[in-house]
Amino acid sequence: MTEIRDYVAPRSLADALRVLASGPATVLAGGTDLMPQSRAGRVRFAPTLLNVQGIDELRGVARDPGGVQIGALTTITSLLEDPLIRDRAPVLRTACDHFASSQIRNAATLGGNICNASPAGDTLVPLLVLGASVVLASAGPEGIVKRRLPLAEFLVGPGRTARRTDELLVAVQAPLPPAGWVDRYLKFGARPALDISAIALAVGGTLREGRLEDARIAFGAVAPTAIRASEAERVLSEGPLDRARIDRAVEAADATIRPISDVRASDWYRRELVHNLLRRVLNDVCDA
Amino acid sequence: MATTTLERTNTDSLIGRRIPKLDAPDKASGRTRYLHDINIPGQLHAKILRSSQVHARIVSIDVEAARRVPGVHAVITAADVPWQRPIGVTKDHLPLKSDIVRSRRDEIAAVAADTVEAADEALRLIRVTYEPLPVVATSAEALAPGAPLLHGEDLRAPGRGGALEVVHPASKDNVAMVHEYRQGDVAQGERDSAVVVEDVFWLHYVTHCCMGVSGVIAEFDPSGNLLLYSNTQVPFLHKREFAELLGIDPGRIRIIQPPIGGGFGSKLDIYPFEPIAIFLAKLTRRPVKLVFSREEEFIASPTRQPVLLKLRSGCDSAGRLTFRSVETLHDNGAYTSWGATTPFVMMQTISSLYRVPHCHYRTRAVYTNNPYAGSFRGYGNLQATFAVEAHMDKLADALGMDPLEFRLQNAQDPGETTPQGMHFRSCGFKDCLRTAAERSDYRAKRRANLAHWNDGNPIKRGIGIASMLHVGGGAKMYPSDGCGTIIKLDDFAKVTLITGASEIGQGSETVLAQLTCEELGLPIDAVTVVNNDTAITPWDVGVHASRTTFIGGNSAIGAARKAKRKILEAAAPTAGLAADELDLHGGSIVVKATGERVQDLGKFLRSLHFAEKADLVMTTYYYEPPSVHLDRQYRGDVSAAYSWATQVAEVEVDTETGVVRLLKITAAHDVGRVLNRLGIEGQIEGGIVMGQGYALTEDLLVEGGVIKNPNFRDYKLITAPEVPDVDVSFIETFDGEGPQGAKGVGEAPAICIAAAVANAIYNATGTRIYALPFTPEKVYRALRGKSTAPTWPESAA
Amino acid sequence: MSAMLEIEFRLNGVVQRTAVAADMSALEMLRDVLGLTGTKYGCGEGECGACTITVDGRTVNSCLMFAVDCNGREVQTIEGLSATPLGERLNHSLVAHGAVQCGFCTPGFMMQAQQVLAEHPHASREEIQRGLEGNLCRCTGYRKIIDAVEAVAHPTASAE
Repeated sequence: MTEIRDYVAPRSLADALRVLASGPATVLAGGTDLMPQSRAGRVRFAPTLLNVQGIDELRGVARDPGGVQIGALTTITSLLEDPLIRDRAPVLRTACDHFASSQIRNAATLGGNICNASPAGDTLVPLLVLGASVVLASAGPEGIVKRRLPLAEFLVGPGRTARRTDELLVAVQAPLPPAGWVDRYLKFGARPALDISAIALAVGGTLREGRLEDARIAFGAVAPTAIRASEAERVLSEGPLDRARIDRAVEAADATIRPISDVRASDWYRRELVHNLLRRVLNDVCDA
Repeated sequence: MATTTLERTNTDSLIGRRIPKLDAPDKASGRTRYLHDINIPGQLHAKILRSSQVHARIVSIDVEAARRVPGVHAVITAADVPWQRPIGVTKDHLPLKSDIVRSRRDEIAAVAADTVEAADEALRLIRVTYEPLPVVATSAEALAPGAPLLHGEDLRAPGRGGALEVVHPASKDNVAMVHEYRQGDVAQGERDSAVVVEDVFWLHYVTHCCMGVSGVIAEFDPSGNLLLYSNTQVPFLHKREFAELLGIDPGRIRIIQPPIGGGFGSKLDIYPFEPIAIFLAKLTRRPVKLVFSREEEFIASPTRQPVLLKLRSGCDSAGRLTFRSVETLHDNGAYTSWGATTPFVMMQTISSLYRVPHCHYRTRAVYTNNPYAGSFRGYGNLQATFAVEAHMDKLADALGMDPLEFRLQNAQDPGETTPQGMHFRSCGFKDCLRTAAERSDYRAKRRANLAHWNDGNPIKRGIGIASMLHVGGGAKMYPSDGCGTIIKLDDFAKVTLITGASEIGQGSETVLAQLTCEELGLPIDAVTVVNNDTAITPWDVGVHASRTTFIGGNSAIGAARKAKRKILEAAAPTAGLAADELDLHGGSIVVKATGERVQDLGKFLRSLHFAEKADLVMTTYYYEPPSVHLDRQYRGDVSAAYSWATQVAEVEVDTETGVVRLLKITAAHDVGRVLNRLGIEGQIEGGIVMGQGYALTEDLLVEGGVIKNPNFRDYKLITAPEVPDVDVSFIETFDGEGPQGAKGVGEAPAICIAAAVANAIYNATGTRIYALPFTPEKVYRALRGKSTAPTWPESAA
Repeated sequence: MSAMLEIEFRLNGVVQRTAVAADMSALEMLRDVLGLTGTKYGCGEGECGACTITVDGRTVNSCLMFAVDCNGREVQTIEGLSATPLGERLNHSLVAHGAVQCGFCTPGFMMQAQQVLAEHPHASREEIQRGLEGNLCRCTGYRKIIDAVEAVAHPTASAE
């Protein structure tokens, strides 16, 4: 653990961005990951600890022209309780329900979970399926500069993102799925939550006349980042959803993933789980 | 709303009632001061530097920079305590290591500082250079020809006179301990057998995970008397051991046991952190507090004994067991603690759970560079029962017999004395078997599940049965297995019960208060229990072997009966009746035959106290159970009573993921008699869930001597949503020696869960898995034929 | 050493002003600075729930919270909960149901039980189990804890 020389807790985004522009700072949101990671020496503090919790404008779920905008400081609990998310993006709600524990859901923020960029990050898989983007803000010469980046591009590697050190992740935007949309989320584990998944997967798409159109498949914990399985998605989108197509999609997914062996699972077992559970989830969609 | 105070009427008894724990209100409100919550003015905080190597020679230790950290009072290494003496069951373990480190937990240096932060800073500045040595990662490797010897040299330490003496002789084969037991003639048993099965089982590493991490506070007074605040489960034995360690009179050591955040057997031995805190207190002349981090708790606490077990069993064509032959390799780890002695319990299950005419049992505990194993609830019995009960199913299957019938046919009856010398004065084993089987509908469900093996549904159901035998009336492992009690009554008929028996969360305080009140005819809230200070409490051998209710209970009853006799004899003349015509009831002296009230007890005690020949009612009692030591052939009736249980597990197996869900446990326990229904249910339910963790989720991953998951993230305790339905039946056999007929039950419920789950998985899938735990990947591999069953190493042939 | 900060917040209804290091956890502040030892250290990683407190009406693991982040907030610990009518009801129920053994995890369960009941005043058994999933207990096997919370959620159904 390194020492913290300055602690700042601004109330406005502009103030926070000025701090980030002026030198290296560690961003503190819910703290649920920063505290244990820093204690274990896996994260070293920058000289300034920037607590963004007081910036109320970064909190909350709202409809916007592109769909839904979720403030980076929105807690997992707030997402779980939000009616819009419940009704229109249930895949995200289900993932939040399997997120750590009640106490951690109350503190942990969506922005924090995204910026940690864990290959097993619980919210990343549903957000990929929803086609979400992140909004990054920084201080520019004429005020706040924002840029939008698809989530898949934001996630660069385990614990690594495309965020510049002078930027703050301020929001997540996602289009709201169209009518006829179906989705599924599955986090593999013996426990309902309080678990880091050996694998997680989500599937989404629009069911129309026996086809899963605009099919989306995403996986967690089987590659350096949470990933979309675009080849498998293509297979699904090409024709009617039946057992044979599902088998082909599963094969295509197998070619996409790059699982590793660690204390939670072997690479072989992760592949087997992807096979069996993707097939199970797609069969379930097919039978619905 | 439920009420916590119990008023006693003239007709009812406290026995069998649901009596809340006396210490629970304070605990639930956060008022209870555990060791972690105690701070002594002037105390220093201690931290330990542990080895970064699994096996290495220490070339140098540089503590100069650490000593310069502001606030640091002492930095010590072995060089600073040349008088240190070894700890452990065979005295093979010096608290601070000077030349060789044999595991990643090994203590190299320690710091005492004003603050934890300063102590941590000093630890970071200690420089150790190592010369790595080859790692012995398994017991098979340890026995291989040419294996590095972990304790290949005599260990010498200063004796009483100061001269060096051999305290632990060299082990030239890495074998730390051997236990061998024989009964009958196994070769004859083989000849008598129609069916013989042989398998090798692997029983894995798990650890206690007490919610309160380990800690100690040590303080010397100016005369050199030591006061320890300790979480020990055996204060009186440790008093003596600490005295030996320090070369002082045991009378100069006082141990206070603050409330403890879980024990489960983990606090039966002295671990290096305790002498180290004492060394620091001695050198700094300040109170020293040392508390582990959770990671340290995982790395530097003992584990359950990991065992490789080869079992060969036979039965004749009529379904009678003919013989059992067992060989085990206990991975002892780098040092010897109680884990090496678990064969004492394991061989009881092998020889005496079922009737077996011919038995051979042999264990070698083998040094490796792994974490070392201590005692843990069940003490080897989970491992032995796992293997025995797998074979009960396999033998029954081979004969085409119903597994329940097969067990009933071989089960013990009351009155039997087994070839190992265990005498079952009370024995409800067959009632346990029948009750658990009937209440779970075992026979019908077992048959129904078999029909679904090949039905194409990936989700399978299974049911499995297993039973256990465990000591229930203490275990005579030491010269005495007794417990002392002092009782005093004050002028207002309030009782102080001063007992040697420690409360470690299991509820002994409440059950002892209850037994005392039952004798004295008083409500439970009339008692104050004192049980945590060796300067006050009488001797007890400690909390282990499921003995506290039995031994401490009989001791409390003995003291209470003496008090009662004294009261009634004193009251007889005024009442105009003989003492044995009187009784104590509802806070009064009453006429035994009619219940008619003679006098309020408090008023009588005052009249006794303030009479011309003034007297107080204070009594003492020491209870020693009528058990015997095992002889050199491991024979003897080591416990005053034995407990029995049968547990039926119902599981759901997802064959596409390997996830096994425990749906229900139907348990029947011969507990002698239920004393406190609330307390005994808590022990059973808690033990069942601990057994569930052992069977399904808990797995301390040790690779090359390194623990890979020293945290609750990846060492998975069972959580609230995972608990099964539980149906518990109590079989009351009213043991003649037990307090009010009760027998010990503390360890029993954890023992046969894993065995029952293994049999249930087989019933669900047709796959038998010989290695624990049944984590999803292990089960999945086994179902796919991708796992290899454990094998017996050539080096151990 | 990290910077020291002066913070002010309400603790169990009383305004507290105290100085904390920037990297200190709320758990360390409560136990070591303010002397409230009812909140326990069990793992320091948010996995066991023994350190559960309430911040602005929601439970969090105090071991994961930066003490400085308490500034301006409303914090409740087991000492505060125990002095409320709900705290007393929970205490009585846990005691009466035999839900306390070694008791080390119990304050954390008390705090989280309050959260479960705030979310689901008439919580089902499954809601209680899910709500308590972030609290580990090694002694009881959870069933009696679940029973105790259920009895508070359904007072008439479980009257004994």
